[in-house]
Amino acid sequence: MKFIHIADIHLGAKPDKEQSWGEEWKYHNWKAFTKVISKAKEEQVQILLIAGDLFHRQPLPRELKEVNQQFSKIPQTHVVLIAGNRDYLAPSSCYRNFPWGKNVHFLAQEQIDYIELEGLDTRVYGLSYWQREISKPLYQQIQVKGGEFCNILLAHGGDERHIPFDGKDFEHSAFDYVACGHGHKPMEIVKDKVVMAGALQPMDCGDTGEHGYFLGEIKDHVCSVQFVPLHYCEYIPLNLKVSPEITQSALKEFVMMRVRVAPEYQKFRITLTGFCNEENPVEPEELKKMKQVAQVINKCHTDYDFEKMKLQHERQVLGRYIQMMEEMPQNEITKKALYYGVEALMAE
Amino acid sequence: MKITEIQIKNFGKLRNINVRPLPGLNVIYGENETGKSTMQQFITGMLFGMEKQPDKQGDHQSYQQYEPWEDGSFYAGGLKFTVADKPFLLERDFYHEDAPAKLVNEIDGEELSVEHGDLEMLLGGIKKTAYENTYCIRQAEVETKKEFAEVLQNYFVNASLGEEGGLDLTGAGKRLNEKKKEAQRRYQEQKEKRMDAVEKMRLEEDILKKDIKQLKNQQKEGYSNIFQQPSNAIPPERDTNQMAEYLRDLRQKKKQQGYMIRCGISLLIALFGLIFGIVNVIFHPLQEGNPGWMALELFLLFLFLGGAGGVCHWFQKERRLRLLRKKQQEETKEINISATRDIEWQKVQGQQEKEAKHQAVEALLQEQLAEKQALLVNLQEVIEETQQPGEEEQELEQQKQAYELAYNTLHILTQDAYQDTRKQLEQEMSRILAELTHGKYDAIGLDDQMNLLVEKEERSLHPWQLSQGVMEQMYVALRLGAGGIFTREESMPIILDEVFAAFDEKRLEAALLWLGRQKGQIFLFTCQRREMEILERNRIPYGKIMLSR
Repeated sequence: MKFIHIADIHLGAKPDKEQSWGEEWKYHNWKAFTKVISKAKEEQVQILLIAGDLFHRQPLPRELKEVNQQFSKIPQTHVVLIAGNRDYLAPSSCYRNFPWGKNVHFLAQEQIDYIELEGLDTRVYGLSYWQREISKPLYQQIQVKGGEFCNILLAHGGDERHIPFDGKDFEHSAFDYVACGHGHKPMEIVKDKVVMAGALQPMDCGDTGEHGYFLGEIKDHVCSVQFVPLHYCEYIPLNLKVSPEITQSALKEFVMMRVRVAPEYQKFRITLTGFCNEENPVEPEELKKMKQVAQVINKCHTDYDFEKMKLQHERQVLGRYIQMMEEMPQNEITKKALYYGVEALMAE
Repeated sequence: MKITEIQIKNFGKLRNINVRPLPGLNVIYGENETGKSTMQQFITGMLFGMEKQPDKQGDHQSYQQYEPWEDGSFYAGGLKFTVADKPFLLERDFYHEDAPAKLVNEIDGEELSVEHGDLEMLLGGIKKTAYENTYCIRQAEVETKKEFAEVLQNYFVNASLGEEGGLDLTGAGKRLNEKKKEAQRRYQEQKEKRMDAVEKMRLEEDILKKDIKQLKNQQKEGYSNIFQQPSNAIPPERDTNQMAEYLRDLRQKKKQQGYMIRCGISLLIALFGLIFGIVNVIFHPLQEGNPGWMALELFLLFLFLGGAGGVCHWFQKERRLRLLRKKQQEETKEINISATRDIEWQKVQGQQEKEAKHQAVEALLQEQLAEKQALLVNLQEVIEETQQPGEEEQELEQQKQAYELAYNTLHILTQDAYQDTRKQLEQEMSRILAELTHGKYDAIGLDDQMNLLVEKEERSLHPWQLSQGVMEQMYVALRLGAGGIFTREESMPIILDEVFAAFDEKRLEAALLWLGRQKGQIFLFTCQRREMEILERNRIPYGKIMLSR
C-alpha cells in the first residue's frame, strides 16, 4: 500500500510578502499542493495523509471547494486529513459542514477517532484542533482497536502548547506509521516509522533547507519512506565568519558569487558571525539590498578581548564597566550593552 | 618627577643654556623679554612634544613662536630628569618633524620608545591639556579654561580609578546617548508602522462585522425583499379570443333565430296551401271541371309544396347551426378547462422556481456569510499577531535598552568615582587655600559645572565675587590640588609663571612658605626680586636661575 504524507501546506499564506518576489511566492503553496495531487495520481498511491495545517488560517468556502476539486482528481486515493492549530475548527469554521468528496475523510473530532478505509484494511487515527492551542498530551495512550488492520496515526503538534509528544515514544506503539505535522523541518524522528513531514514549502527565512513530501509504502506492517523535495522556493543558510581582515567588498563579492550560481527559487539567509573592527565595519544593509538575499543577521562584534581589558584596566572605568556588565544577569541586552559601552569608551 | 638638567641648544631666543635645577623650589628670575616664558615653553615642549599645526584651540602657535631666531636648522634640546630616582635623558629635535624624540635610561643606556608611550608612562599618564591646566600656571592664565571643567570631570573619574588618563568619559556618554536616541527613533518608526497596519485592519474588521450583521439580517427576513417584484407569468393566450367567440355566438344565435322564423313562415304557408286546397276541393270538386277553381287548386298545391319545402330547408339549416354551436360550445368549454389547467400548472411551476431561487440565494448568502466569518476570524488573528512586535522591532528595542543600560552604568560609575575624587580634591584645595590665606578661606568646593565656590560665613561665593588676589589664590589651589589628584604616585614639576603678581606681600609670603614645604619640584618664574627676598628672609632653600638679555 503506497501513501503520500504531507503537512503544513499553509495554503493562503504569503511568505516574504515584503520582498520583491513576494507577489510570485503567494501561489507557491497552491502550486506545490497541486503538484502533490498529480504525484499521487502518477504514483497511484492509495492514501494521501495530510497531518494538519492544510490552510494557513481559517479556510474560505471557495478555498475548500478548490481543494475538494483537487481531491476529486484522485478518486482512487483516500485522502485523510485533520485540522491543525492554524486552520483549527473555529465555531464558525467552514470545515464544519463542508460536503467533501467520497474519497475525502476529514477527522473532525476533538478526541482521537479513526476512519476505516474501505478495501485497504487500514485504520487512520487522528483528531482535529478545535482551538489554537492544546497543552494536553492527547496522543498519549491511544487505544488502538484490535483486528488485522494497518494502523496509521495523524499527529499534529509536539511542542509545549500544541499537544506535546515525543515522536520517539511511538517507536514501539501499535501504529505502523505515525504521520506528524507542525514542525517545519522534514525529518524521520524514528526511521521509516515516525516522520515529521515538515512544511511542504518554506514559510519564512527560518525554514531553511529543502522541503517537500514523504512517499511511503507499508507491506505486512513494515513501512519504508523516502523524502521527495519540491523546489518552488528554498532558503539557503549562509553562515559567514567575518574577521577584521575581510573587507566589506570582499564579503559582497563572495555573496554575489554564491547568488550567481544559485537557481532563482533559492533565497539566501546570511548570518554574519565573528569579529570586525572599527576601521572595517560590516554593513549588513548593503548585503540585504542584494538580489536573492532574504535576510541578513548580523552577529558580529568588534574584536575586543574583554579579559585582557579587564586585567589592564582593573581599577579603572573601562575595567570596572566590563566587570559590572559581566556581573549582571546575562541576556541579549546586557551582552549588547557591554559591547556598546566599551565601544563608546574606546572611540577616539 | 624631577628635572635635573635643562639643555637648550637653540630654542626661540635662548641659545646654549644649560641649567641644573634643584629637586625642590627654583626661582627663575629675569627681566621682561629675557626668555622666561620661552624656557617654560621649552619644558612643556620637551615633555609633551610640540605640534607644527596650531593646536585645537588655535590660540597658540607655539611651534612658530619658538622657532629659533637664528640658525633655524638647529632647533633642539635635551632634558635630564629622574623618575623614582632613576635618571633619564630626553632629546628632541623640533625642527625635523619626523625625527623621533630620543629617550634613554641613563643607568643602562637602554633606549626607550617615546612613540610607544614610554615617556607618557614616566609622566604618570598626564596629558598636555591636563598639565597645562594644573601644574603649569602661566602668566595671566590663572583661570582654568572652559573645557577644563570637562577635562577635570574626566580626570576625576579616571584619576580616582587609577586611570592613566585618556578616556573621554563625557564623550562616551554623549555617544551612547546619541546612539540610544537613534535606536529609539528607529524603534518608534517600526512600531508606528505596525500600529498603522493594525489600525487599518481594525477598520477592515469593522466593515466585515457590518457585512456579517447585514447578511444575518437578510437571512432572518427570509429574503422577502428579494421576491417582492410582481410575478411576470403570461396570461393564457385564448382569453383574448373570448370576445370574438362571444360575438360569433351572438351572430350564430341571430342566424339560428332567422332560420327558425323562416321555417315557421314556410310552415304557415304550407298549412295555408293545404287547408285552402282541401276546402277548395270540397266546395269545388274537380269533376265539375271548372278551370278557375282548378287553377286555384293548383296554386294552393304549389303553395303547400313550397311551404313544406321551405320548412324542410330552414329546419335543416337551423339544425346544422345548432349542432355547430353545440360543438363550438363544447370546444370552448374544453379549451377553457385546459386553459385553467395551464394556469394552475404555471402557478405550480412558478412556485417551484421561486423555491429553487430562494434556496440558491439562501445558499449564496450562507456561503457569503461563512466566507466573511472566516475572513473575520483570520483578520482578527492577523491583528493579534501584528500587535506583537516583529523580530526587527524587538532587536531595535533591545538595542535601545542596551544603549540605555550602557549609558546608565557608565553614569553610575562616573558619578561614584567623580564624587570620591571631588571630595578628595575639595579637601586638598581647601587645605592649600587655608595655607595660602592664613586660614581666612578654608572651605573651597566645586559646583556641578566645575565652577569654584568658596564657603565664607555660610555663604557660597564665586571667585569673581572676591578680590583678584583671592581669586587667583583659589585657582592656584584648584590647579595644585587637581594636579596632586591626577598624578598621585609622583607629582610633576610645578611651573608658576608670574602667578603671584597680584598677591600682596603678606599673601606672597604665605604662598612661598607653602611652596617651600612642598616635596615636589617647583619652577617659579618671576620678573621681581621680592620672591627671592622673601625666601631668603625666611631661610627657605631654593635654586636660583638668572636669565639675562
